[in-house]
Amino acid sequence: MADATIAIRTRARWAARTPASRRGLVIAIILHVAIIGGALAMFFPFLWTLITSITPGANLTSTPALIPANPSFGAYAKLFSDLPFAQVILNSLLLASVTTAVQLFTSSTAAYAFSRLPFRGQNVVFAIYLATMMIPLQVLIVPLFVELKTFGLLDTYLGALLPTFASAFGIFLLRQAINQVPRELDEAATIDGAGHFRIFGQVILPNIRPALATLVVFSFMSSWNSFLWPLIVLRSPQLQTLPIALAGLQGQYISQWDVIMAGSVVSILPMLALYVFAQKYVIQGVASSGIK
Amino acid sequence: MKRKLVGALAVAGVAALVMTGCASNPPKADSGPVTITYTNFISAGANEGNLKKIVDAFEKANPDITVQVKTIPYSGYATAQQTDLAAGTASDVFDIDGLSNYQSLEANGQLAELKGVDGKVYNSGLLDTYQTDGKQYALPTSFSDVVLYYNKDLFDAAGVSYPTSSWTWADETAAATKITDKAKGIWGDHQPVTYNEYYKALVQNGASFLSKDGKKAAFDTPAGLEAAKWLVDKSGTTMPTIKQGQGTADFDTNLFAAGKLAMLHTGTWVFGNFAKVPFKWDIAVEPGNTKSASAVFSNGIGVYAQSKHLAAAQKWAVYMSSSNEEVNVRLDTGWELPTISDSAKLATYLNKGAPANRQAVFDAAKQIAQSPSLGANSQAIQDAMTAALIEAQSGRETVQQALDSAKTKIDALLAG
Amino acid sequence: MTAQTALVDKAPQFKHSQPVRDTARTSRRAKYLLTVLAFLLPSAIPLAIFVLGPMIAAAWVSLNQWNLLAPMKFVGLGNYVGLLQDPQTGSVFLNTAYYVAGYLPLVYFGGLALALALNTALKGRSLLRGVYFLPVITSWIVVALVWRWLLSPSNGIVNTVLAWVGIQGPGWWTDPAWSMPSIILASAWKDLGFVMVILLAGLQAIPTDMYDAAKVDGAGPWRRLISVTLPLLSPSTFFVIIISLVNGFQVFDQIYAMTGGGPDGSSESVVEQIYDFTFRYGRAGDASALSWMLFIVILAVTLIQIRGQRRWVTYG
Repeated sequence: MADATIAIRTRARWAARTPASRRGLVIAIILHVAIIGGALAMFFPFLWTLITSITPGANLTSTPALIPANPSFGAYAKLFSDLPFAQVILNSLLLASVTTAVQLFTSSTAAYAFSRLPFRGQNVVFAIYLATMMIPLQVLIVPLFVELKTFGLLDTYLGALLPTFASAFGIFLLRQAINQVPRELDEAATIDGAGHFRIFGQVILPNIRPALATLVVFSFMSSWNSFLWPLIVLRSPQLQTLPIALAGLQGQYISQWDVIMAGSVVSILPMLALYVFAQKYVIQGVASSGIK
Repeated sequence: MKRKLVGALAVAGVAALVMTGCASNPPKADSGPVTITYTNFISAGANEGNLKKIVDAFEKANPDITVQVKTIPYSGYATAQQTDLAAGTASDVFDIDGLSNYQSLEANGQLAELKGVDGKVYNSGLLDTYQTDGKQYALPTSFSDVVLYYNKDLFDAAGVSYPTSSWTWADETAAATKITDKAKGIWGDHQPVTYNEYYKALVQNGASFLSKDGKKAAFDTPAGLEAAKWLVDKSGTTMPTIKQGQGTADFDTNLFAAGKLAMLHTGTWVFGNFAKVPFKWDIAVEPGNTKSASAVFSNGIGVYAQSKHLAAAQKWAVYMSSSNEEVNVRLDTGWELPTISDSAKLATYLNKGAPANRQAVFDAAKQIAQSPSLGANSQAIQDAMTAALIEAQSGRETVQQALDSAKTKIDALLAG
Repeated sequence: MTAQTALVDKAPQFKHSQPVRDTARTSRRAKYLLTVLAFLLPSAIPLAIFVLGPMIAAAWVSLNQWNLLAPMKFVGLGNYVGLLQDPQTGSVFLNTAYYVAGYLPLVYFGGLALALALNTALKGRSLLRGVYFLPVITSWIVVALVWRWLLSPSNGIVNTVLAWVGIQGPGWWTDPAWSMPSIILASAWKDLGFVMVILLAGLQAIPTDMYDAAKVDGAGPWRRLISVTLPLLSPSTFFVIIISLVNGFQVFDQIYAMTGGGPDGSSESVVEQIYDFTFRYGRAGDASALSWMLFIVILAVTLIQIRGQRRWVTYG
C-alpha cells in the first residue's frame, strides 16, 4: 500500500516537472552514474593492491582472486621485519617535508618576480626556467652525481635534497596563479606605502592559497615517490627512502608481491591524507561556481 | 747531481725487481686496521640479516678489517654501479650481475686481478666464467641453473615415462605432444622464447651463437635453424601463444602450479613456488639434442681496480664466495646456491625435500652451455635476438627471416 | 651620453649642478634590480647549479663517445650525425609524438569534465575527488601491473567485457599496433586526477558574480561554459597544456614498467631510448645527443604555445 503511494507521488512529481527540468534531472542522473562508475574504475587498482597485500605468498596471477583464500596481515608485519621500515618512512617524510617547504619559498618568490617585477629579458629568463624541465633526469644524473661528489655530499640527506630545492613546475604554477590576482590590490597596497616585500607577503600570498595548497601536494608527492635520484645518491641503509626499500623487495629472480603491495598501500596512505587535508584550502567557500 | 741520478736509478731498479717478484703472490696486506666498503644487491629484500651473519663472522676472524655494507635493490643496481664507476666512487668490493656484467667490467679495466686464489675450492665451470685469458678477475658467489620440471601425475595419466638423462629433443617433443590436450587446457611443454634459451639450445644442438673468433654471428646454419624452430614451434602446439599470455611474468610457473603444464623449463629459484602443490613433481637435467648442456646463471663478486685496500678487499671477496660460514648460511636459509665444489658440504641441500632429484641441479652445472662473449654491445645484441625470435613466434616473420635479420643486426653490433 | 652628464665627466666642479632626479632614479633603479634579484636568486641558484650545470655537462658529453667506464672519446658532432641517419631515431620521435597527440586531448578533456562535475554541489564530492586522485599518487609499478592485467588479451577484464558485446578485443600490449594506445589509455587514466586538481583550483578562482551576470543576461549552462568558464579557466588550461607537453614528450616510467619499448620497438619513446643508450648499451654520448635533440623539439613546441597564448589566454 505504502509502495503504491510512493509510486503515485513520484509519478506525479515527474509529471509536474517542466520538460527542461526533466532533461536536467536525467542529465544529472547520467552524470552521477558516470562519475561513480569512473570512481570505481579509479578505485579498483587500489582495491586490487589491498587484496594482494593480504594474500599470503601472492604471485602475479593473470586473474587475481578478488576474495583471497587465507587473508592475513602477515605481509604488513614482514614490512617491519624485513626492512627497517620505520626508519625508511621517517627518511621519506623528512625529505618530502623539507623539499615542500623550500619549494614553496623558491617557487613563490620566483613567481612573484615573473608576474609583478618586469625587467629587461624577463621572457628569456622565464624561458630558461622552463627549459630546465625539458632535459630528462636520466641524462642529468651522471653529471649531477659527479657534481655532488665534488661537493662531498654523496650519501647525505643534503645531497638528496639540493637538486629538489627549485622546481620550474612550481614556479610556473604559482606564476599563473599570481597573474590572476587583480593588480588593483597591489596598487591599493602601494598607496598605503607598501614595498614589494610587503605586497608579496600580505597581498599576493594570501590570495593564492588554492595554488599554494596544490603545490604542497605535488611537491610532497614528487619527493615521496622519487626513486632514481635517491637511489643513486643515498647508499647507507639508514638513509634510504620508501621507493628504494620497496624496490628491494623485487629480487633478482622472484619477488614477494604481497609485501610489495603492502608497502604500496602504506606508501599511498600519507599522501592521501595530505591531499584530503590540502583540499580544505583549495575549496574557497561553498562550491557554487559550477554549472547549474 | 750524478750521484742523485745514480741513486734514483738504483731505487727504480730495485722497485722494478720487487714489483716483478710480487706478480704471482696475493697483494700485500695493509698494516693496521682497515675499513673496506662492499656494495651488493644479493641480499636486498629479504637477506640483509643473513649477509650480516657472514660479515660478522668475517670480522671476527679478521679483527683488523671492518666491512661497511651498502645494499641496493636489484632493479636499480646496474644504474647505481655504472654511475659509481663513472664518478670513481665504486666500493672496494662489489657484486657482479652475471657474465655480461663481468665482461663489460673486465673489458674496461674496472676489476682488479685476483692473485693467489685457491681455485680448487670452487666449481670449475663457474670459476671459468669469471676468468679472462687465464687470469681471475672475479669470483662466483652463487648460482642457479635451468632444469626441466615435470608433473608426474600428468605423465602417469597419459602413460608416458618420466624424463631420463638420455632423453633428446625428440623424446621431449613426443612426450609433450602426447600429453597436450588443448580441450582440457593441458599443455605439454613450456620454454621461454628468448636469447638466453636460444644460445643454450644452439649448444645443445652442436651449434654455436658466435663464430670461433667471436667476431660474427654463427647461428645461420641448419643446426641453428633447427634450434630456433625447437623454441618457436612450441608456441601454439605444446605451449600457449603470446596472445594467450605466454611470456608474461609468472605465467609459466602459475600454469605449472595449477597442474596444467606437464613440462617446464625454468630456473631452480622457483622450487618454493611448488612446495604446496597437490600433484607429484620432480626435476631432470634438460635434454640436449646432439649434446647435453644447461644454462647456468651466476652472480659474482669483484674487487675495484682502483681500491686502496686490495688485500683486505680480496680477502673479503674470497670469504663471501667460499667460506664455510657463507656456505652454511646459504644452505640453511635457502639463499641461493653456493659455488663450491665439495659435494660433502652440500649434503644438507641434497636431502631437503621436494624435488627429490636435487642432484640434477649440480649435474646441470657440470655441463654448462657457456654464455657467449658479446663484448661492449652485449645487452643490445641480446635484445635484438630476443626481439627476432618473438617476431617468428608471433608469426609476423618466418623463422628463417627472423634469423637473417637478427644476424645482420648482430654482426653490426659485434663490429662495434 | 647627454650634455649634462658629459659636463659632469669633464668638469667635477659642476657636480653640484647635476639634477637630483638622476641620482634618485639611478638609485631607485638599482634598488629595483636588487629587489628583482632578491626574488629570483632563491630559485635561480639551485636551478643554475643543479640543473643548468649538468645540462651543460650533458652537452659536452654529447660531443663524445662514452660508455661510463672508460675515458671519453671526442667525436665532435659525430653522435648527432649518426643519430640523424639512424631510422630508429625517427621511429622513437614518431612514437613519442603519437603518444602526446593521443594523451593530451584525452587527459585534458577528461580532467575538465571531472573538474566541472566535481565542482558542483554533488553529494560525496570530497570523497570522489580523493578517489580520482588515488591513481596519481600510486606508483607506476603498481599501476603498470594492474593495467597489464586489465588489458591482458586472453583473460583481461576489458577484452572479456568486449566479448560480451560481441567485439573481438585486440592484443593490447602484444600487438605492435595497440601497444602505444594501451599506454596512452593507462597514462590518461592515471593523470586525470592531476588535471582535475589543477583545473579545480582554477575554477575556484572564478568569482561567482561572473556567472550571476551571465545568468542575468539569459545565458544557459552551455553558453556559460563557453563564454565564462573556459576563458577564465584559460590560465590553468595553458598550464596543463604546457606541463602535459613537456612531460608527455619525456614519457618514460610507464613505458619502462609496461612494455619496455616493445613489441618490436612500437612503444619505444625517446627517453626510453636515452635510458637504454646510457645504462644498457654503454652509449652515454648518444644518449646526451638524443636528449638535446628532444630538448629542441620540446622547446619549439612550448614556444609556439607561449606565442599562441596571447590569443586565447585571459588573465583575471
